[in-house]
Amino acid sequence: MSESSSNQAATQSTSFDIYGTYQRILLNQEISPPLAAILALTELIENSPAGTMFELVTALNAGADAMKTKSSNPISLDAGCELFIAFVTLFPHDSVSFADLKTKLIRQGQQYADEALTYRRKIAELAVSFIKDGSVILTHSYSRVVMQTLLLAHERKRISVFVTEARPRGLGIKTAEALTAAGIPCNVILDSAVAYVMEKVDFVLVGSEAVVESGGLINAVGSNQIAIIAKAANKPFYALAESYKFHRLFPLSQYDLPNQNARIFSFPRPSPSRKPSISGSLSNPSSAIDSGSIEAAPTTITQEQISKNNPDVDYTRPDLISLVFSDVGSLTPEGVSQYLVGMFAG
Amino acid sequence: MPVPTSIDPLPRSGPPASHQPSQKLMTKAERRELQERQRASKLAQKSAPGGGASSTLVGAPATSITSKQKPPSTPSQKKFSGDVNGAGPRSAVPKDTNASASVAVDDGTSGRSVSRGLRIFSHFGLTKAVGHSIKGDIHPAIIRLGLLFSEFRICGANARCIATLTAFKNVIQDYTTPPHNTLSRHLMTHLSPQITHLVAARPMSVTMGNAIRQLKLEISGSDIDMIEQDAKDALCQKIDNYIRDRIIIADEVIQELAGKKINDGDVILTYARSSVVEKIILNAHEEGKRFSVIVVDSRPLLEGKALLKKLTNADPPIHCTYALLPAVPSLITEVTTVLLGAHSISSNGSVYSRAGTALVAMMAKGHSVPVMVCCETYKFSEGVMLDGFGKNELAPARFSKVPKNSQELTPTPFLEILNPLYDLTPSTCITAVVTEVGLIPPSSISSIPLALGKTTL
Amino acid sequence: MAPEQRSVESLASKLRRRQIVGSRATALETLLVLRQVVSKARFSNMDQLVEIIRSVGRRLVEAQPKEHSVGNTVRKVLHHIREEYQTATRGSAAVSVPQSFSIAKFVLLGQPRQHTLAPKAESKGTLKENDPDDPDSFARGLKPVLMEAIQDVLDELETVYDNVSKNAKDHIHSDEIILTLGMSKTVEAFLKSAAHHRKYTVIVAETAPLYGGREMAQSLSSAGISTFLVPDSSIFALMSRVNKVILGAHAIFANGGMFATTGSLIAATAARAHSTPIVVCAGQFKITPLWNLYHEYGALDFGDPSSVLGFEEGDLVDKVEVVNPYYDYLRPELIDAFITNDGDHPPSSIYRLLKETYDDEDNEL
Repeated sequence: MSESSSNQAATQSTSFDIYGTYQRILLNQEISPPLAAILALTELIENSPAGTMFELVTALNAGADAMKTKSSNPISLDAGCELFIAFVTLFPHDSVSFADLKTKLIRQGQQYADEALTYRRKIAELAVSFIKDGSVILTHSYSRVVMQTLLLAHERKRISVFVTEARPRGLGIKTAEALTAAGIPCNVILDSAVAYVMEKVDFVLVGSEAVVESGGLINAVGSNQIAIIAKAANKPFYALAESYKFHRLFPLSQYDLPNQNARIFSFPRPSPSRKPSISGSLSNPSSAIDSGSIEAAPTTITQEQISKNNPDVDYTRPDLISLVFSDVGSLTPEGVSQYLVGMFAG
Repeated sequence: MPVPTSIDPLPRSGPPASHQPSQKLMTKAERRELQERQRASKLAQKSAPGGGASSTLVGAPATSITSKQKPPSTPSQKKFSGDVNGAGPRSAVPKDTNASASVAVDDGTSGRSVSRGLRIFSHFGLTKAVGHSIKGDIHPAIIRLGLLFSEFRICGANARCIATLTAFKNVIQDYTTPPHNTLSRHLMTHLSPQITHLVAARPMSVTMGNAIRQLKLEISGSDIDMIEQDAKDALCQKIDNYIRDRIIIADEVIQELAGKKINDGDVILTYARSSVVEKIILNAHEEGKRFSVIVVDSRPLLEGKALLKKLTNADPPIHCTYALLPAVPSLITEVTTVLLGAHSISSNGSVYSRAGTALVAMMAKGHSVPVMVCCETYKFSEGVMLDGFGKNELAPARFSKVPKNSQELTPTPFLEILNPLYDLTPSTCITAVVTEVGLIPPSSISSIPLALGKTTL
Repeated sequence: MAPEQRSVESLASKLRRRQIVGSRATALETLLVLRQVVSKARFSNMDQLVEIIRSVGRRLVEAQPKEHSVGNTVRKVLHHIREEYQTATRGSAAVSVPQSFSIAKFVLLGQPRQHTLAPKAESKGTLKENDPDDPDSFARGLKPVLMEAIQDVLDELETVYDNVSKNAKDHIHSDEIILTLGMSKTVEAFLKSAAHHRKYTVIVAETAPLYGGREMAQSLSSAGISTFLVPDSSIFALMSRVNKVILGAHAIFANGGMFATTGSLIAATAARAHSTPIVVCAGQFKITPLWNLYHEYGALDFGDPSSVLGFEEGDLVDKVEVVNPYYDYLRPELIDAFITNDGDHPPSSIYRLLKETYDDEDNEL
């Protein structure tokens, strides 16, 4: 293949709507972002005219970037892309024709996605062995793998569940509804009541967006504070993570996550134009009603503003995590990082 | 009552932590005897030049040197003779200073002659049987009590204190002031040998020490012009009041306070057997609260079995679980509250209690289970304790039965069997101390006026 | 039933009835059975052999899932056999590996190992798998090296105490006070070996309700070590004078935690409270590649309640529930070092040690 065709490949691969594909795959309730990303990338391979490994990897990287920039929450998606691309680069390509290799890769990707759908069951089986009869479990927000674990535990043992409301998205309610429908005693608690409820809890069980190289956890915002409280109360904090959520990332702090956005927690600077109006409203309350009604509107804080100013995910340090249950076994945080090192730092 | 046999017929009198040979081990006893003799003569040399320290010292060297084949415990002999000679009540209550002094002496001398083994254990001493020979004018009630003490028939801190005070009432009633003397000045001299006798049977408990100190105050404060019988009655009344206020009523208040912390469905864990804890549990059960109890126990004394019997005989029976100390980690996760008794509590908030208590409290702390120590204020002991090693008491070997699934072990020169009776729970492992004046964080014990004896009875 | 089948069954029933106790004894028995099985086995390729060994392993593990040294021994034998096979065939079989490379394998095993991509070497020709003319030729050719491999494991097991205790004098110093509990043959050998070089004192907690500590105290004192036997209750009181706590293990897990006889956890926690180092002496065969067992309740194994509260207590026995667990789970944070026949390791290295000792695919037999 010539250079011109490689250019062509690049243009063609961009014309392939990877984000649309990703969104379409994600419509399947069972498929989580990293898997959807892997499947979207296999479709990209299918549609890609790339004729060499180098071209293919370039196209895959471009596709991954496209998805990441468009997605609002790219962390777990990125974990999937990274895994697949690393796999593609390491795939032994002594095949006779490159097209052959591509079909092999596509098949591998699809096979993995099929296989990966069984992982939640595997994790649930693993985690259930840690759940004692009569356990009181605290969970956070909504997670499919946590749901599956709790439902499986319910079949075999008596459990009761506290679930946080998990603002701003309020997905805890969804968890509570599903659990109640399944007949599991369940209570929704305020995010601010975690410390209060912790004494009654046997252990904390959360899902994950990603498990990172430090062995730490990225999950819906609020997980970190739950982990801190659990640690202070000497309660185990268990995270559930499918192995495709192992993500090569080493956050040093909360603000070292890739989706950082300057908007979050920026203090709104009072605009100079408003200053006189505020002082005016103080000195002359009657006139402030007319002039200040528009200006004063921002002082009432809406839910949207709060959620807009807050992060979706936070980072939980490894020393706060007791165990990570994944399809490759129940791992200590160090164990997670050993897997990641094995995959990416060879 | 079984009379304990002992190789050494001599009565042993000594401060709580005095160095005493093990009578069970012949070879060891001989060796120790040698040490004792060395120590005695050394002390004699020491005290002879500086003899002015107390009038009592004068007679001591002679006694200890002449008594060749009986290993005398010199410091206590001093005290003994001193008391007889009317040296005053000061020596009747062995203070920690006394104990540590004798420890220091041990460390200085015994180590040289011990070729193996550990000097650091030497101060544990061994409780001994009360000998048949009784020195001085000992009241029959005291002799009886001494036997009960040495046989561990009366074992708990409260029980020993009540029994001692009750016996003292008999002693006081049977006492007549000799001519040319007053009760307020002579009675204590009369009581001192009785106390010494009890201490010889088993080292004095902090509770006894505190009560006796109070009694001394009362005696010295009694009106010289009062008719003797009235004065004696007044003292007995004071003793009754002390028992009532500081122990009986205190326990009732503690029962109520601690009972409030027991709720339906709770799992209460307790260790060994504390009279207060037993009352709390039975009382809460009587009030209709339905909870279960885990009794944790350990050798040498296995006191928990007695508690278990009491609890299972309640109507309806309390749901009980019984386990030995090593099983605590598997049980602690289910526990809502740990209730413990105490022998005494020191001013830094550490609790001196039955050996094993510290392990239970430590495990509970690790699992964030609240630990409540139930302790009357009269158990407060001034001074700071840092570990349970410095001051301890050994259970006589005859009280630790051989477990049925284990062979009999005989001590050899290389094998020594120790059964320490107490340990010290650091205040960090304790959530609250339940006293008759309320629930108190362990570190604030020293600010209770009642505990310091600043309020009179 | 073939004799080797019978020996498997007889061991399985002994394990089930707990007639064999102690990790090392179990490991030895397992090894002897495996040797018999391998010597009699008929197979014409490696996979068949592996499957034969695994099925024996499964049978024995099922019989007594709590005796982890059975599974460990089987894993170790498999690992050695594969190694011997690799050297015997000079990697001729390795080329098949890339074929099975998948994303799941990639996650599980990391990057494909270099040797799997090694150029195809000329097979020695003496070993031919699945020879249609002579199906036994493969087995005949391989068996001598296999027996050698098993013998290696056996030798290692037989010298385990010596090797654990060979550096004992570096861990125990003169005039130290050591606390130990229960009856562990490894710890016993370790302490006795140290006593040849040092004068020190051992405090043994008697470890109710099995009172293994009494046996230990007897044994140590008769070897001339100054020994103090104390009840479990005084562990905390004495800990402030103890220089080191030495414990035995029942099974060591991949995270560096371990199962040990009950009482170990209170002793270790008390030692932590006093910042006293905790050292574990154990043979390497106790290192178990399992993850989901270390749990406060996960694998509690309960002993006979009558040893805690005997029938001599009369009707009390019927009225109360008695709890008598065999083992404690010690978190890796509670352990400072493992002294094994394969060197000294911190708990965090156990994971790596496992990867070196066993093949990942054998973690589930």
